[in-house]
Amino acid sequence: MTTFQYLWRLIMYKPLRYVINAIAWTVIYLAPIIPGLVTKEFFDSLTGNAKLGYGVWGIIALLMAATLGRIVLIIIGFITDVHFRFRMGMLLRRNLLEHVLKQPGARAIPVSPGEAISHFRDDVDQSEEAASWSVDVFGMTCFAAVSSYILIRIDAQMTLLVFLPLVLVISAAQLATARLQKYRAASRESTAKVTGEISEMFGNVQAIQVAGAEKRVIERFRRLGDDRRKAMIKDRLMTELLDSIFSNSVNLGTGLILLLAGQKMRAGTFTVGDFALFVYYLTFVTQFISNVGKFITYFKQMSVALERLTFLLQGASAKMLTMAKELHLDNKNAPSDQAAPVEHLHTPLKRLDVDGMSYSYPDTARGIANVQLSLARGSFTVVTGPIGSGKTTLVRTLLGLLPKDEGRIAWNGEPVDDPGTFFTPPQSAYTAQVPRLYSDTLRNNILLGQAEQEGSLQQALHAAVLEEDVAQLPGGLDTVIGPRGVKLSGGQAQRTAAARMLVRDAELYVFDDLSSALDVETEQKLWERMFQRRGDATCLVVSHRKAALARADHIIVMKDGRIEAEGTSAELLQNSTTFQELWYGDEAPAADVAAGEPAKTK
Amino acid sequence: MQRSKTNTSVQQYYEIMHRYLLPQRGTLIVLALLLFTSIGMQLINPQIIRYFIDTAQSLGDLQPLIMAAVLFIAFSLIQQLISVIATYFSENVGWKTTNTLRVDLAAHCLSLDMSFHKSHTSGSLIERVDGDVNALANFFSSMMINLVGNLLLMIGIIVLLFRESWMIGAGMTIFILFAVYAIQRIRKFAVPVWTGWRQANAEFYGFIGEHLEGTEDVRANGAAGFVMNRFYAMLRRMLPLRVKAFLGFCAMWNTSIFVFALGNATAFAISSYLWHTSNISLGTVYLIFFYTELLAKPIEKIRTQMEDLQKADASIARIRELFATRSAIADGQGEPLPKGPLGVQFRGVTFSYDGDQPTLDHLDLKLQPGEVLGLLGRTGSGKSTMARLLLRFYDPQQGEILLGGANIRSCKLADLRKRVAMVTQNIEIMQGTVRDNLTFYDDSIADTRIIEVLQDLGLGAWYETLPDGLDTLLASGGGSLSAGEAQLLAFARVFLTDPGLVIMDEASSRLDPLTEQRMEKAVSKLLQSRSCIMIAHRLSTVQRADHILILDHGKVLESGKREQLAADPSSRFSQLLATGLEEVLA
Repeated sequence: MTTFQYLWRLIMYKPLRYVINAIAWTVIYLAPIIPGLVTKEFFDSLTGNAKLGYGVWGIIALLMAATLGRIVLIIIGFITDVHFRFRMGMLLRRNLLEHVLKQPGARAIPVSPGEAISHFRDDVDQSEEAASWSVDVFGMTCFAAVSSYILIRIDAQMTLLVFLPLVLVISAAQLATARLQKYRAASRESTAKVTGEISEMFGNVQAIQVAGAEKRVIERFRRLGDDRRKAMIKDRLMTELLDSIFSNSVNLGTGLILLLAGQKMRAGTFTVGDFALFVYYLTFVTQFISNVGKFITYFKQMSVALERLTFLLQGASAKMLTMAKELHLDNKNAPSDQAAPVEHLHTPLKRLDVDGMSYSYPDTARGIANVQLSLARGSFTVVTGPIGSGKTTLVRTLLGLLPKDEGRIAWNGEPVDDPGTFFTPPQSAYTAQVPRLYSDTLRNNILLGQAEQEGSLQQALHAAVLEEDVAQLPGGLDTVIGPRGVKLSGGQAQRTAAARMLVRDAELYVFDDLSSALDVETEQKLWERMFQRRGDATCLVVSHRKAALARADHIIVMKDGRIEAEGTSAELLQNSTTFQELWYGDEAPAADVAAGEPAKTK
Repeated sequence: MQRSKTNTSVQQYYEIMHRYLLPQRGTLIVLALLLFTSIGMQLINPQIIRYFIDTAQSLGDLQPLIMAAVLFIAFSLIQQLISVIATYFSENVGWKTTNTLRVDLAAHCLSLDMSFHKSHTSGSLIERVDGDVNALANFFSSMMINLVGNLLLMIGIIVLLFRESWMIGAGMTIFILFAVYAIQRIRKFAVPVWTGWRQANAEFYGFIGEHLEGTEDVRANGAAGFVMNRFYAMLRRMLPLRVKAFLGFCAMWNTSIFVFALGNATAFAISSYLWHTSNISLGTVYLIFFYTELLAKPIEKIRTQMEDLQKADASIARIRELFATRSAIADGQGEPLPKGPLGVQFRGVTFSYDGDQPTLDHLDLKLQPGEVLGLLGRTGSGKSTMARLLLRFYDPQQGEILLGGANIRSCKLADLRKRVAMVTQNIEIMQGTVRDNLTFYDDSIADTRIIEVLQDLGLGAWYETLPDGLDTLLASGGGSLSAGEAQLLAFARVFLTDPGLVIMDEASSRLDPLTEQRMEKAVSKLLQSRSCIMIAHRLSTVQRADHILILDHGKVLESGKREQLAADPSSRFSQLLATGLEEVLA
């Protein structure tokens, strides 16, 4: 999509609003025609060349009336402009957000969240700015046309000889702005680095404070800021150089008029009134040219912004950014908080088959290869293995949170084409290894838009062993948990994520390392209740806890990205060395802890 | 009431200016000189036109007219050059000062305690440290100079007008005073609406930031609709605020248009009167008119500077608020901590996060230097809180904590944090190289040492797979690192420092038993001459503990030597061990 198409599509999002805005601003920009003519009238009345017979007071009255009219128009123009710009900018952000939420969950954005915010904020602002200025250009063009007509009627030769060279000089300067794009991109990049650095600093405050690394981190930040300064100055200097040509053109034009008008004024064919009119319009015409220049600059900035936004889309067509969608700004149309559209039919699971699934992370080339597994209805399967063996990767790839490189997934024998969309409630529900909570009430963090059905929330709380904790919170379920939900302890956060999964009725429950932050007793309770509750739902669990391994119908042992062994715990204890090592470690079983004997090494 | 408001307003600008602009005074002087030259030229040009018009009325030579025109053009070109040079200097000043302000603000925020950081999203802090400071950039770079310069331009014009006729001078003076007054009044209305808009903006980006991080959960639990609804709700809140904010600007622009038309009308009336009565030349009438037009620029400039000032007002207030936020944790005078392993003592410590229910209740604890304490208890019983108190992320409401005999409140925070190391199960991997993540930009740690530590921890194989070795970039939040590997990296950080007390807060929770065993050797080496507090769920972890402390709802349930408690069947500890045993036999 070219930048022009981008601009066009943005405008076409709300064409009526754009047109009204354009009309309002066109009239606003035409308004100065009248004061110009009034000024000419004034001077002509002094020298006796007046066309209309008004005295000074008539002229003044005319001036004030025109001014008041302009003021009213400007208020209207501002209102139309703000409404249009807001909708346009928010459409872009809305589409961007929706797209990001549709991506494989673990690869949703190609940059850090902090940098992504700079895209959401600044790149969209730039697009808004350019689109809004297009309206101005329209209005100013009308002014230029009308005023040129008036001036040519007075003295065609003067008009051409003065304005033509100006136009040429300014256009030449305009062409030079081709180099501007390079500096603009560089300065936007250095800004993104600074934003990213701030985000990292405040996202990892605890680690920085614990390591006592504040000074060093700040020093680095200072350096990045200085780099940005240099990039920004280059950018600004280029812009200012060209801007100054535009803004000084009034004076240059006045000088040209003086050069040419001397003879005519002596001859009386060019009055002082004409001179005043020429200079008055000159101001606006040069403003017009400089604003066209500004618009072209904004347009170029817009193409940089478009490039950066497209990058964020990770391969999707840029057209997606400008697709017309409802913004629900009218309260009456507000979708309910609990809307959870059912995207596909509920197909009970009989069998899930995975064949030859592989995925490798682009930057490290690690991942999983050639994974084959089958889940029967109602089974409890545990995936285990040493760290880094690919357990989480396996689960994420299956659920479409990572885009698989190869492999086939079949649900009841039917192939699954888009695992990311398929594996959502009511087909499956998921608890990630690192629980993410949001700045919202505990209730909303668990429901996340899920409609509450007949005590399903209470059941989920019970199964996740959260009831006591909720009772102890000051506002109960309506307590707002802070950014990243950190006012909850690690274990509480993990159980909240579990409740989030459990409150959704699903055929397949997938959980990654559910109990790492739980003490022994709570963990026991959790597994017990989970088992009671699940009925004949199928479970796929990543864990190395004995509580899970002992209950498993089927265990999959992973090593170095491949499945090394499969079977029940009894079978694996006999046949698989990796499993034995996982189970026992390098020393005798936990029975020795009770006796207080020192650990025996094999 | 209003008086004190303006006083603090002026005062806060003075403070900021003094601190950040003063170091740049060399550049500021150059800027001032350039500006004055530019003003001088602007005042002379209209005189040239007057001369031109009057000479053209008389039927003299063409020569002087051409000279006048050329002079006019020459002055214009020089003025253009000056403005470009001035831009360079003013941008430089602007960026240098705002960069310094940003760094100060960031450093201040980093020094604030955990209760601050838990209640502010990083998205909203970005808006503050970068967004608000950006709003001040213009203020620092050119506003002051421009305001003074334009003021001088206005005074120059008035003086020259008085030179022509006292009437016109007086008339224009009244006009300017009225204009300035009107613009000031409008500002009072426009500032608060702008603040409201910026606040809504900060919240919006906080929301976006959180959801950009949590995409995995949202996707897999089908919650995209919920997030989008939240988004729409925010939009509905933001639109009216934005409309109000922009109407504020609109009001300012309109005021200057109106006032300005009034000025023109005044000029017309007075010069018409003078023409008919005192026989001033046509050129002079034009001169008066031109100077009136010329007044538009400084008033316009003042108006736009006022708009920027409006944005700056709101931002300065927020920045000052941020600076005024004092950490609840005050640094100590600097009582030194002894070398070697540190003993720990809690004396009657009571602490609560929100002032309601205490998380810790009159807790007493004693740990000798070099010993290992195993801390057990249900989640939420206060175990992690003890670790946070030891690192002074919070201060207890009652009681005191001693480290190596010294009250930690009297030690310097930097010293305290150097001597106490903590490994948690939070993944705090920053965007940067592996080396940066391990050393936090400390250049004094040799690469060989880093690799040695990685190998000790069993990360040797992982290190071999890195394409650029220690220079390999890691993504924010860990990226392709497994959670277990991220935790091992966190351990590696500790090994590279030299603490006297190591706190392990469920540090091996994500590790499988095999990896944990492999790490044991390294951990044993680490704990050789150090004290350690192990907060754990898994009983195997507290195997190496000398003492055991069991917490329940912030109170000590049981404490004693591990061996004794394990041997006593009626103790809670041995009951827990039995439960653990059950899961093995099941």
